[in-house]
Amino acid sequence: MRRGVGIPQLGGAKALVLHRTHADASALLRQLAAIGLDAQAVWPELSADAVLADYVFFDADSGFDGQMPWATGEAPMPLIALIGTEAPGRVEWALRQRADAHLVKPLGNAGIYAALLIARQRFDERQAMIREIASLRAQVSERRTVIQAMLRLTEAGKSEAEAFDHLRRLAMDKRITVEEAAAALLAAPALKAQNKRA
Amino acid sequence: MRQRIPIGVLYSRDCDYHILSRAAETGALAGIAAVNADGRRGLEFAAVSQDPGGKAEAYGAGAAAMLRHGELRHIVGCVTSSSRKEVIPVLERQGAMLWYAAPYEGFEANEHVVYTHACPNQHLVPLLAYVLPRWGADVFLLGSNYVWGWELNRAARELVGDAGGRVLGERYLALGDTDVARLIGEIRATRPAFILNNLIGESSYAFLKAFQALGLEDDAFLSANCPVLSCDLMEPELAALDGAGEGHLVVGPYFASGEGAASSMEAAAHASVLILADLIEAAGTDDPTMLRPLLESRSFPTPLGALTIDPQTQHTHLPVLVGRIEGARFRPVWQSETALRPDPYLSRYDPRLMRSAPALRIVS
Repeated sequence: MRRGVGIPQLGGAKALVLHRTHADASALLRQLAAIGLDAQAVWPELSADAVLADYVFFDADSGFDGQMPWATGEAPMPLIALIGTEAPGRVEWALRQRADAHLVKPLGNAGIYAALLIARQRFDERQAMIREIASLRAQVSERRTVIQAMLRLTEAGKSEAEAFDHLRRLAMDKRITVEEAAAALLAAPALKAQNKRA
Repeated sequence: MRQRIPIGVLYSRDCDYHILSRAAETGALAGIAAVNADGRRGLEFAAVSQDPGGKAEAYGAGAAAMLRHGELRHIVGCVTSSSRKEVIPVLERQGAMLWYAAPYEGFEANEHVVYTHACPNQHLVPLLAYVLPRWGADVFLLGSNYVWGWELNRAARELVGDAGGRVLGERYLALGDTDVARLIGEIRATRPAFILNNLIGESSYAFLKAFQALGLEDDAFLSANCPVLSCDLMEPELAALDGAGEGHLVVGPYFASGEGAASSMEAAAHASVLILADLIEAAGTDDPTMLRPLLESRSFPTPLGALTIDPQTQHTHLPVLVGRIEGARFRPVWQSETALRPDPYLSRYDPRLMRSAPALRIVS
């Protein structure tokens, strides 16, 4: 994951502005075009091809459930909330969409570029974290597989060290991970482990 | 009866960057004089000047004083970005417009500002594209401690990285600081292929003089072997350098030829006033909201040539010249075929530009 922002290649990036026709929407479209994005305003709903957009700005004041073609909070791109009213219910709704950044209305020329950079960074970090959690979960569940395989081997008379050594050699011979070796061993009939011992 | 239009002139006469500031002020006043002397014009300008004394925070108050009565709606002024950032909120409140005629670091496109000098795709990017294949890509970065130096050096770090080069050092001096011994020592030790100098004013002059002395001790640091690059050095500063700039490299939309404007900043400030006069004549008013739509598809005759302004960013399409300092002049060594479209956010930057040629170090 890249930490710095480098020189963001925003030229031609696609942005959707989910906002009714309004001076705030025009100001935002103007500034996005100045930055080099291909931006378009849409209201009241995003169509299915919105998933192709690189950024989505949404009106937190009059937004409603079901406006976006993905499950709430699971946008496949960075979201930026446009907040006018700070009523907690509206802020809560914007948070439920999982906005990665926000802009406060009335919108001017300032803050939009920073919001793009912040939203992109937060989104990428969150995605990386989701991937990391999935891979840690997989490791944790495989650990149970390793323990079960070890148990089967110790039940068949090996010491703990011998059992692990056995798994490791199996993994090395077949050029697979210890976790995969454990899964293979468990998939084989129990007899096989006993036969090996004999 | 010619319409009399007030125009603000907001430059500091006494500051660390006074040569640049005076160059721009000279250009603005020359532009105003040219408009007023032109009998075919339907308007004349009445200049209102404020001198913020080089203090960034005084620019906001200066602009507010000019705009207070609501009659004055256009200001030519500001050199540093910190001063421009102070003025922008005042412009937004009053619906006024700033004509900004200095090279700057980009990453702004405010509709209350018309940017008539270069942004990074019109200075830093072409300058590095010229230097990297000829001298190599390992750089030492220098800057004055504020946003111009920080951002240009940050962008240079990326661009040099795209060319496979390394940043051998990065050092900043406070505005006005002339104690450059440590910088020189580090440059001598790290032996870069070239130096990007984003120091301004007295710090920059002190550095260039000390670097010239280093070159006399060690050939590797002569300008032919290790050039110092500057994106904002102007011809009127050469006198203060006393020959220490000789052979080093600069970039700009215009180089002085002995006739006309003495620097690109003077030319850009002059051009700003002429463009404003053309727009007011075309619109029949100086109301910025009426002028903005007229920026599109219009070409303005100016000392920088016929200029067009990009209506989306309100930055100017500008020619680019890379030059070598020779005596009191900048001699062009490369120039763009056409005016370059402004890209203040570097959104259209293409890294291949930096990788286009092998980075060979010239050894003399």
